[in-house]
Amino acid sequence: MSEPAIETHRLGFAYPDGTRALEAVDLSIDTGGRVAIIGQNGSGKSTLVRHFDGLLRATEGTVNVNGEPVGGRHVADLARAVGIAFQNPDRQIFAASVVREVGFGPRNLGVSGDDLDLRVDAALAAVGLEESRAANPYDLGYSQRKLLGLASILAMRTPIVVLDEPTTGQDARGVARVRAIVDALTEMGRTVIAISHDMRFVAENFPRVVVMRAGRIVLDGSPNDVFAEASWPMLASTFVHPPLAARIGVRMGLGSTPTEASLIEAARRAAGQS
Amino acid sequence: MTTAGHRSDLRPAVPAFVQQPPTGAYRSLNPTTKLVIAVVEALIAFVLRGWTGLLVVLAVVVATAVVARIGRAMLPFVLATIPLIASILLVNTFLYPGATDAIVHIGPFAPTWTGLEFAVQAALRVVAFALSVAVFGLTTRPDDLVADLERRGLNRRVGFVVSATLRTVPRILQRAGEITEAQRARGMDTEGSLWRRVRGVIPLAGPLIFGALTEVEEQAMALEARAFSAPGRRTVLRAFPDSGAQRGARWVLLVVLVMVVGLSVTGRLEFLP
Amino acid sequence: MSLSLREVGYRYAGAARTALTDVSLDLEAGRVLGIVGANQAGKSTLCLVAAGLAPATIGGELSGEVTIDGVATRSARPWELAQRCGIVFQNAATQLSGTTASVWEEVAFGPRNLGMPITEVADRVAWALDALAIIELAARDPERLSGGQAQLVALAGVLAMRPAYLVLDEPTSQLDPQGTDLVATAIAALAEQSGAGVLVAEHKTDLLARLAAEVVVLGNGQVLAHGRAEEVLADERLDEWGVEPPSGVRLQRAAKAAGVRLPAENVA
Repeated sequence: MSEPAIETHRLGFAYPDGTRALEAVDLSIDTGGRVAIIGQNGSGKSTLVRHFDGLLRATEGTVNVNGEPVGGRHVADLARAVGIAFQNPDRQIFAASVVREVGFGPRNLGVSGDDLDLRVDAALAAVGLEESRAANPYDLGYSQRKLLGLASILAMRTPIVVLDEPTTGQDARGVARVRAIVDALTEMGRTVIAISHDMRFVAENFPRVVVMRAGRIVLDGSPNDVFAEASWPMLASTFVHPPLAARIGVRMGLGSTPTEASLIEAARRAAGQS
Repeated sequence: MTTAGHRSDLRPAVPAFVQQPPTGAYRSLNPTTKLVIAVVEALIAFVLRGWTGLLVVLAVVVATAVVARIGRAMLPFVLATIPLIASILLVNTFLYPGATDAIVHIGPFAPTWTGLEFAVQAALRVVAFALSVAVFGLTTRPDDLVADLERRGLNRRVGFVVSATLRTVPRILQRAGEITEAQRARGMDTEGSLWRRVRGVIPLAGPLIFGALTEVEEQAMALEARAFSAPGRRTVLRAFPDSGAQRGARWVLLVVLVMVVGLSVTGRLEFLP
Repeated sequence: MSLSLREVGYRYAGAARTALTDVSLDLEAGRVLGIVGANQAGKSTLCLVAAGLAPATIGGELSGEVTIDGVATRSARPWELAQRCGIVFQNAATQLSGTTASVWEEVAFGPRNLGMPITEVADRVAWALDALAIIELAARDPERLSGGQAQLVALAGVLAMRPAYLVLDEPTSQLDPQGTDLVATAIAALAEQSGAGVLVAEHKTDLLARLAAEVVVLGNGQVLAHGRAEEVLADERLDEWGVEPPSGVRLQRAAKAAGVRLPAENVA
């Protein structure tokens, strides 16, 4: 049994001005696991993942990454283990070409030569930007810049990948791409953690969902459990709407059906019985 | 519905928190008066050579800060000058050209008294400057200054740029923080050697500038969508108390400024120690 | 009376190809018209052209005719257009003037630019804050609002210009579900109560299904489909056009393919 990829114990965090952002968070994520973190803005989702690569340091409790405490380790060192693709790509893009932008992370990790080219090419292919290699990033539209930000993290090939709102601003094709990337990462044995407001994306792509409210984890389970009717009052308290499929399932008395597939299956079974 | 005769009583009014002029002896001065005070103090501090003038100006600046009751809020303004003051002290004390009155010899380095004196004076000028900016910034709403200057015939755009710049500083700081996080998460070393940190400037400055550029166009369109380019004067929300005394004081201050600058530049104030 | 585009084409200054080609549509008072399309399909460009900012403010080359209540945007001045058609963008932060200390003053920014008497400014601010039900924000610092609140303040700032038409370019794309609800509810109430014609570009077809009476699908700068919202949002070709159908439509389609029935009243 390998160590969990991420393990927090009674993790608490307060900003220097005293604002409490995390309270006694106990979270363990298996290596190769896939977890979605949901909850309203300000519930602590982004604060939590910033502890995984040391951008924020616990004021109480501990954080372990791949079995080792993050303690005094430099962010530059933790970046070998954890890659975070932040929400706003315009807070990171600086290079004059798409290729150089994607190469920045791996180069910081000491990757060079053919290996670097290989990683950059693979990352650009994954997000569908291989045609734009030489383009100036600021000539791309917002949704493409967002995919570029994602590629720049993929190229670092970190065992743990964190995606902060990966589907916002993407059209149907962009969302499909993000789903495919998540699947590919899992296939390669990487751990994927996503913060998202997109409940369909969450319910259909993540076997485990963690719900946060006011700095605490209030629900943690499969989409079936988390989106079940019994959890709705808790979800409402952190402004999460269950996916439509879940709501229809409850209206039709079919139980918990958070995804399209589960709703259709439940409806078919109910029709067969009657 | 009420009758037309009563309607004026029911019309929405400008709320008190908007209308209320600032209270307090210094805050309630006309915005332009406060601007003139700050500019005159800062400029005189910089043109006067020697100790006497400098100390007098510094005393006046500190007195203004006390009268204005800005208290601890001025600390960030003073703290912001520390890197500049440190470099002024180091460079002048150790490298003052032509000075020979060494305080002590440390290997190849010989700090001099002449250099130290010059450095302390320069540092005090910076402090005087920072304090006069602080007094102005902390006692004046940007929007008030713009409205008052516009009333005096200044172009709306110039006023907007001044006012928006004053309010943009916290926004830029927040953005710089987000950028630093994103680049560190990509393995950029900001905790290592000095050289590595210097190399990190481009990935930090790049998004700051590009981000600002991409937003500028949207900002310009959003302003246009609210008739920013309309001709004529903008509506004034608050009355800015002005008085004959203030008007007189402003002219006196400006005349004093011109005289001091003139005398100083032509070398007629060199009798001051 | 309407905002009308006739055979409109548009090319950005310095661009090689046109961003819009042969677009014709009408927006009537009190109606909500939704615009959908894949990224880069021309939704934002259509917003700028409809509001008259293109070409009046950003230049570029316009062909065809855009008229707002009979006035051609081509020859109108930007501050006159601002009183006929308002526009709100996705990022609330860039739309606030950044010069005001309270929400009340922020909303007063536009009317003050027109140099109106102070009583008229106060009237308009009160009306705009009331129309969006945000009177309680009046004294707040505009820099310290949640994303949804800031977007409502940006909308109020535009409403205070009393335009007959409103153009909203992905007004909820930067918001969390709470902020999205806040803004969507406000838009729905606005069209109904103020009689403004609203054009809204959105990725979220679920939202459009709730707000819009009519929907236009854009692709490659051209109109691919245009009609009643229920029909267009149920079009089989949406996926092909890079547009995600509303959840209800998608689920009904999947149910039909699997041969099971989802009663319509449960899907609404």
